[in-house]
Amino acid sequence: MAHQLTTCTYCGVGCGLYLETTDNQVIGAYPSVSHPTNQGRICVRGWHVHEIASSPERLKKPLLRKKGELQEVSWDEAFAFVATRLKQLREHYGPDSIAFLNSPRCSNEDAYLLQKFARAVIGTNNVDQGSSVFCNNSIDVLLEMTGVPAASTSVADLGESDVIVVDGVDLARRLPTIGGAVIRAKLRGARLIVIGTRRHRVAESADLFLQIRPGTEVTLYGAMAKVILDRGLANLAFIKTRCRNYEDFLRLVREYDLLQAAEVCGVSAEMIERAAVTYASARAACVLYSTSMEARSRETIRAVVNLVLLTGKLGRPGAGILALNEQNNLQGVCDLGMLPDRLPGYQPVTDSAARARLEALWKAELPAAPGLRAASLLTNGHNRTVKALWMCHYDPASAAGVEEARGLFEDFKLVVSQQLFITDAARYADVVLPTTAYGEEQVSFTSTERRIQLAQKVVEPVSGLMPVWQQLTRVASLLGANWNYASAAEVMDEIGQAVPFYSGASYENLAREYGRQWPCTKDQPLGTRYLFADSNGSKFNFAPVAKPPRVSTAAEYPFQLFFGSSLYYWTQDVLVRHSETLKREYRILWLDYPDGFVEINSEDAKGLGLRDGQKITLRTTAGSAEATARVTSEVRSGTVFVPYFLREVEKKILPGIGDRSQLVPVRVEKVAA
Amino acid sequence: MKARVLAKTDVLAIVDLLRKQGYEVLAPFCGRGRDTYFDTVTDANRDRIQLHLPNPYYPPKRFVFPHIERLMKAERSNGDLRIEPTYEAPKRAIFGIRSCDVAGIYHLDRFFLGREFSDIYYEKRRRNLLLVNLVCTDPERDIGKECFCMCADTGPAARDHFDLQLMDLGDEFMAVAGTPSGEALLANSAFRKGTEEHVAKRRQILEHLRTHFESTMTSWFSAAVRCVSQGKVTEKTWEEIGQRCLECGGCTYVCPACTCFTVTDRQVSAGEVERVRVWDSCALGGFTRMAGGFNPRRAVHDRRNRRFFRKLSHYFIQRELSMACVGCGRCAAVCHGDIGMPTVVEMIRRATAQAEAR
Repeated sequence: MAHQLTTCTYCGVGCGLYLETTDNQVIGAYPSVSHPTNQGRICVRGWHVHEIASSPERLKKPLLRKKGELQEVSWDEAFAFVATRLKQLREHYGPDSIAFLNSPRCSNEDAYLLQKFARAVIGTNNVDQGSSVFCNNSIDVLLEMTGVPAASTSVADLGESDVIVVDGVDLARRLPTIGGAVIRAKLRGARLIVIGTRRHRVAESADLFLQIRPGTEVTLYGAMAKVILDRGLANLAFIKTRCRNYEDFLRLVREYDLLQAAEVCGVSAEMIERAAVTYASARAACVLYSTSMEARSRETIRAVVNLVLLTGKLGRPGAGILALNEQNNLQGVCDLGMLPDRLPGYQPVTDSAARARLEALWKAELPAAPGLRAASLLTNGHNRTVKALWMCHYDPASAAGVEEARGLFEDFKLVVSQQLFITDAARYADVVLPTTAYGEEQVSFTSTERRIQLAQKVVEPVSGLMPVWQQLTRVASLLGANWNYASAAEVMDEIGQAVPFYSGASYENLAREYGRQWPCTKDQPLGTRYLFADSNGSKFNFAPVAKPPRVSTAAEYPFQLFFGSSLYYWTQDVLVRHSETLKREYRILWLDYPDGFVEINSEDAKGLGLRDGQKITLRTTAGSAEATARVTSEVRSGTVFVPYFLREVEKKILPGIGDRSQLVPVRVEKVAA
Repeated sequence: MKARVLAKTDVLAIVDLLRKQGYEVLAPFCGRGRDTYFDTVTDANRDRIQLHLPNPYYPPKRFVFPHIERLMKAERSNGDLRIEPTYEAPKRAIFGIRSCDVAGIYHLDRFFLGREFSDIYYEKRRRNLLLVNLVCTDPERDIGKECFCMCADTGPAARDHFDLQLMDLGDEFMAVAGTPSGEALLANSAFRKGTEEHVAKRRQILEHLRTHFESTMTSWFSAAVRCVSQGKVTEKTWEEIGQRCLECGGCTYVCPACTCFTVTDRQVSAGEVERVRVWDSCALGGFTRMAGGFNPRRAVHDRRNRRFFRKLSHYFIQRELSMACVGCGRCAAVCHGDIGMPTVVEMIRRATAQAEAR
């Protein structure tokens, strides 16, 4: 038997846990009591992580499509095929005909080498990670307003906050360790403000629960800013010394009106006022929002950060922004440049000085034009310029909300898939390269609190299986690159040279305690618990947000329908599908509602004479769709929530209305039995 | 009581003796920070065994009731189906198991073996297991702030269900046998006869330890048993408790006395299927949901109160003649929403006091 401290790789929290092994098998998992983030707690996913490592359905040999069928081949043959095809396609169609997508669960080393492969070996910026549709809003807004696209504070520091604001995200289901930290902070006396349309588990503990109408966040935060200004609660000293653009912000904030906001948002003016005053009067307040599946619009994030700057709740223990990454390495893959417009370290690809620095390090010329985003390169069908697709643990079903893998890949001339199992997408690949799994490789991940941590090797992989970074090294060598990484630690050493805020994150340093929070530099090797502590540091920028126009409601369509990817994401996860207990837990809703469902509030259902599980018709100006009603008190009265996997409803209702981020006025009718 | 003593420096001789007798010895070790765990003793790690340290978080119940274990294998060949149960029963000794965990294993014995059906997988492992109990005597290192064995009446010194009990008296360890297997170990030359002074010292240490338990629930644990047994806890209190449950299952997994499991089949290779049993939890919706779709405990608080009924209700205590809570305090440390046993007892106390005041 052996016990090894490692990092849980399910969600972005990055809990520390131990894996117990015997005879080259993981036989147990349990949380570390001392890890600063989870302090002895993990969620149901972490408790069952050992079930996956021992799943018998793992792929063991590379597969190559021959005469239409995927057949087992040798590693040499698989790598040679990939290298040859890539070379041919690049010569014929140019480097931008090749694209690389990875999952936000890939390790730092894998992400770094994949984008280096794309940029330095192939010569394209067509790199993107699976949840870019969701997380770019937060990255871009935080870069523009604070200069650092990450959470400014730490999970453990929630214990130091006296006011906590949770925007939207259902922490109990999605990031339970953080949900628990919030609930316990509240039990110790912090005031908890929850804002969102859904009455989720953490909302039950709130002092103030503002159950607003969907899509009215900007109005709410604008009105809160107005209250703070009117009551003289703005932190003028902070604004004066550390912020720019205040005048422009001020001009637009004056447009907001508390009473009108109350009407638009559907919560009382008194509640909005109390939330604003509570937040502004806090000694140390922290704001939490999701950057992933439950991500907010750019305008909403700007409005949130404006509030933070207005009150100066930044740069002290417990005061700041927790931008939450729901996938375990969303932070890391973005930090390391799996973005079509940004290099490792977030420099724009168009910045020639930044390119030159990396060109010197990588000894290759780098492309200057931004690449394509995942969504556009996957969905532009027959006219697409991209001919070859490399997917590293990428799953279009859970990443881009693409339900049907079939058809999606037909027009590509080469599809390479690096996967653990035969997934829907891998089934359509020309080459499948099986990889080592969690516990079979030593790699690093960066959590939502910027903590770069090691996930340790605790068992030997099935013979021949190797990590993604090693496979990339092999193919790169076949294409003439001189890559000589002997270990993931060596890849990290190079990352330290490419990304300044990782420069102190050697494996030796990361292994010492519980990882290091970036910036982790040579001068500051212990990392940084919270950002912006230096009051002479760089300036912040207010982002003026105009008051959104009022949406008129028509009496004949009294409900507001909105689409969301929240809540059911984990059913799609490839690891969850291969763990017995988790599969069962996350499948309950599918079993209860085999045709899918839309959610409707219990009181509304009573008014309509509707029972749980009954069929309803949703009627809009553009069309109508039938669906099963899931009656729950969690959704707000007057709304209909459509989970993203219910494509039928979307197809019938959306044409003529717009995209999925839009609210749709609907009428709900009972279908006669 | 036939008390024996041995010098502090000789205590690991028991480990050596057991290993010589062919036991796989599991002993406590330190991990990172305050983390500790039971691991197999080898020549390489023998000298790193720790006696006084925070009780390992991952409970030793897994040595009789593993987190995941294979029950059988089914193979199809030439149209025949060959089914083969897989038993694993290594000869094991847990060295340094705490009194609460000894009580936990006793509770598992009552559950798996005490009634009309015996669980053969459990039985085979249990029969080969030897328990060397260590009394918690170091207030700083042994006793955590969540510990409440005093209230659960399981410690700090177990009264029975161990094979051998060791207690640190300062310069020496006192050893007491609980079974013939334990008695046999005392024949070793390292042990000397204990005197009246040793027994007095033992009593004095235990008396002194009483003041070192931080948990304030002492006087209320039995009252909580009464309230739960008599159905006096209101729905509102259970709802308050349930709203803080994040359904991680942690409390059941770390509990030395929780017994729930699920059984599932999975493909090993073409034509071969294995049946495994995995720890399960009453906190999970999929655990209580029936095959037909009906879930008698659909609301989270209905599932959460189930845990406390199971542990505190008189019906179950009488059924097993043993209580399913041993006072180890792990559930208090593992809970995201702070609704481990001590807090729940406190919430029940407060609600009852309020109701009585009205």
